Amino acid sequence: MTVVNEPARRPSVLHIFKVYYPDLFGGTLSVIRDICAGLKDTFAAAVLVCSRTPGERRIVVNNVAVERVRSFGDVLSLPAAPAYPWRLWRRIAEHDLLALHAPFPLADLVFALGLGRSRPLVVHWHADIVSHAALRFLVEPLMRRTLRRASAIIVSDPVLVETTPLLQEFAAKCHAVPFGIDVAKYDRPAAPPTEVNARGRLVLACGRLVPYKGFDVLVRAAHSRNFEVWIVGEGREREHLEQLIRDYGLQDRVRLLGSIAESERVKLMRIADVFVLPSVTNAETFGLVQLEAMAAGRPVVNTALDTGVPHVARNGLEAITVPPGDPAALAYAIETLINDTDRRRRMGQAARHRAVTKYSTTAFKEAIETVYRTAVAEQAAAKDAGSSAPGLRPQTAGLAAAIQIAAALAWSDMRHRYVRSLLGPFWMSIQMAIMVAVLGSVIGHLSNASAVARLPMLAASLTAWTFLNGVVLDATTALQNSASLIKDRALPPVIFLLQCTFRQALFALHNATVPLALWLALTPRDFGGALAALPGLALFIVCTLALSLVLGALATRYRDIKPIIESSLTLAFLASPIIWTPEMIDRNAAVMRLNPLTHLFAIWRDPLATGQVATTSLLYVLGCLAALAVAATVTIARLRKAAFWI
Amino acid sequence: MVSINLRDVCLDYPLYGAYDFSLKRRLLGRLMGEASETRTIRAIDRISLEARAGARIGLAGPNGSGKSTLLRLIAGVFPPTGGQREVSGNIVPLLGLGAGVNLDFVAADNISLLLRISGRKPTPKILDEIWAFTELEERMQRLPLRMFSSGMLMRVLFATATAFPADILLLDEWLSVVDENFSAKAEQRLLKMVETAAIVIIASHDHTLLRRTCSSIINLDHGRIASTAQLDTPVPHHLELREKRA
Repeated sequence: MTVVNEPARRPSVLHIFKVYYPDLFGGTLSVIRDICAGLKDTFAAAVLVCSRTPGERRIVVNNVAVERVRSFGDVLSLPAAPAYPWRLWRRIAEHDLLALHAPFPLADLVFALGLGRSRPLVVHWHADIVSHAALRFLVEPLMRRTLRRASAIIVSDPVLVETTPLLQEFAAKCHAVPFGIDVAKYDRPAAPPTEVNARGRLVLACGRLVPYKGFDVLVRAAHSRNFEVWIVGEGREREHLEQLIRDYGLQDRVRLLGSIAESERVKLMRIADVFVLPSVTNAETFGLVQLEAMAAGRPVVNTALDTGVPHVARNGLEAITVPPGDPAALAYAIETLINDTDRRRRMGQAARHRAVTKYSTTAFKEAIETVYRTAVAEQAAAKDAGSSAPGLRPQTAGLAAAIQIAAALAWSDMRHRYVRSLLGPFWMSIQMAIMVAVLGSVIGHLSNASAVARLPMLAASLTAWTFLNGVVLDATTALQNSASLIKDRALPPVIFLLQCTFRQALFALHNATVPLALWLALTPRDFGGALAALPGLALFIVCTLALSLVLGALATRYRDIKPIIESSLTLAFLASPIIWTPEMIDRNAAVMRLNPLTHLFAIWRDPLATGQVATTSLLYVLGCLAALAVAATVTIARLRKAAFWI
Repeated sequence: MVSINLRDVCLDYPLYGAYDFSLKRRLLGRLMGEASETRTIRAIDRISLEARAGARIGLAGPNGSGKSTLLRLIAGVFPPTGGQREVSGNIVPLLGLGAGVNLDFVAADNISLLLRISGRKPTPKILDEIWAFTELEERMQRLPLRMFSSGMLMRVLFATATAFPADILLLDEWLSVVDENFSAKAEQRLLKMVETAAIVIIASHDHTLLRRTCSSIINLDHGRIASTAQLDTPVPHHLELREKRA
């Protein structure tokens, strides 16, 4: 028998959203509030949001700690809070579960970067991005990454999974949890909820004054009818709506009540005759406010969106559903209800019945709690299995992973090369300095030109040659030396050829201190020339890499290639203008013109010396690179069989 | 979905070095009308194998029967000469413990490097977990592996190799390499890894080990499937026994 120890501490959940009380009121916020309150015995909740109002950064709302990140206003419906991603990243580790209330691309940014993998993530999918659809292509990859990483996605109605393409991809982890409503709040203390105003012509609508809520449609519908419209809520559309009301001359019948306290709103719900949810886009996924109206026993007029809206209050039963954005149809539906007291009563009763039976707070709370608990438990199980997170699998694949591994191996080579030496890695630099000094003095005697002036170029050429020589020589033995990793760990052989270039590049950086010091000390320091040499240097490195891939594979397959390469490199060193300069011999000698190394060095040395690069050299090198690229491509394909050769 | 699907897979292993492949020989051979095809040995001969998530397959057979080669073929080390190989899932081939180890590096560096090779980021936390499993002294982390006894070395390598779960786990003669004191703990960890992996294929001469761990055993002979045995004993039953012993 095992005793299950209840953890002494409640697991903590961080709710991530763009805004929270007291800056705004609305359906999504009341959902977050209800989750925090409903789960307070099992989860400790915290909220991280943005806020435009300066003031306390940490406040407590309804016993929940709310941290507000300063925002400088809204850009494209998003709070401009540059510090939010950073703050979110810092907070993630403090909690056991993350609850992201989507859409919120600012938070997606954090998850898309792969941060916070150590904590399970549950996404509450409140709505798809409908506004600024043109920019969707920017945000969708982020949202997809977030959803991929999430352990569960919670939607308010199953229809959302079917109608949202992004959710279809992750249908397996979507859970439909309808919102709950505490109907007791809407009980009428004085009059029974079934009572209706016989004269009734009061139409109520609630919501933030934002375009998707479709209040302009409602105002238009009120034109040349005789019902009264009260709209509760505040928002940036206010001026526009006021203008519209004035234009239609409806000031006496249509009123914008602004933001009012929840208790007042409940009272309004009780006295209204018809409740209208005129939303026009799929941003309205559920319409929590129509559920409140249903709890208050009001008949509803809603719109036929592709979301949960027409499923919460169903056409003909609890509501009349009209096409979105159609003032005439909306007005007709409202009038139908206004003129039919009996129908209003029947629909109101049905609505309240549905709210009580289908949308109970207990069911909502329990379902959310189950999802949260499962997410936390799965994470714990994954941890037990030896991993700190399920998301900690190797994510990178293919070439990127190969490059990463090659770089790690090269870095380790670098760090351990002179592990027991006294001078450390700068042993290499000193070796290079001595070589330059000796060769420089010898060549000084051979030619009449100033040996000292030539030292920086000699040092640079020797560094470059050491790099090329080292890469090619290393490549010839790389695969054999790493046979166990290739055969026992199934690492792609190309990694070990890349490793040679990376390793020698790191060594070359150490060696480069010598030419750099000489260049700074002995030349006029022409930075323009140095800059112009960079593209040529890049070409040099790419050519070296391609050469090492081809020769490395060949030398592994045919063992007699290796000695040939070794002796060719010695010959090439002598036959190329590395320790001597082209000026010392005839520039047009065949050995100069045909030797690709002459040009490979010229393309970065000439700009360094004169600021110019000869077109012939450039073309020659590009030609060589094209040939090498073809050969390297063929080689990489052939490397599939490398395990047979070693 | 994690799966392995081999259909009539063959592998001809080219025998470089065993025969004279030189240019001279080839030219002379051509002149004398000898058949010039490269000499190969058929290491895998028309093997079909299907494994879905949950499969625990043991490979048995005498030396040279193709066990390791088959594992390498599944891992993608060797491309099949004929037939079809489809594998989906993250493969962790642990065919040799010592792969990638450098005895001159200190233990901690070796662990970091081995983790990087398997595409993991070595964080201090992970390193500590691995070291805790080895039960070695803390200060030994900073010693070169050269100074470790072979048993200690195995502890370090084993702990590193098994630190992360895998979708598809390929093991070749494993428990034999772990020293005695450590073996019970090691076997438990291995079994845990086997439990969490979707597909496990173990090649071993140890029939009792295979019977304990696997749901089916494939006997290989000369690169062919000689027989396949489904084992009725479910794995959980065995695990209970183990727990009592431990």
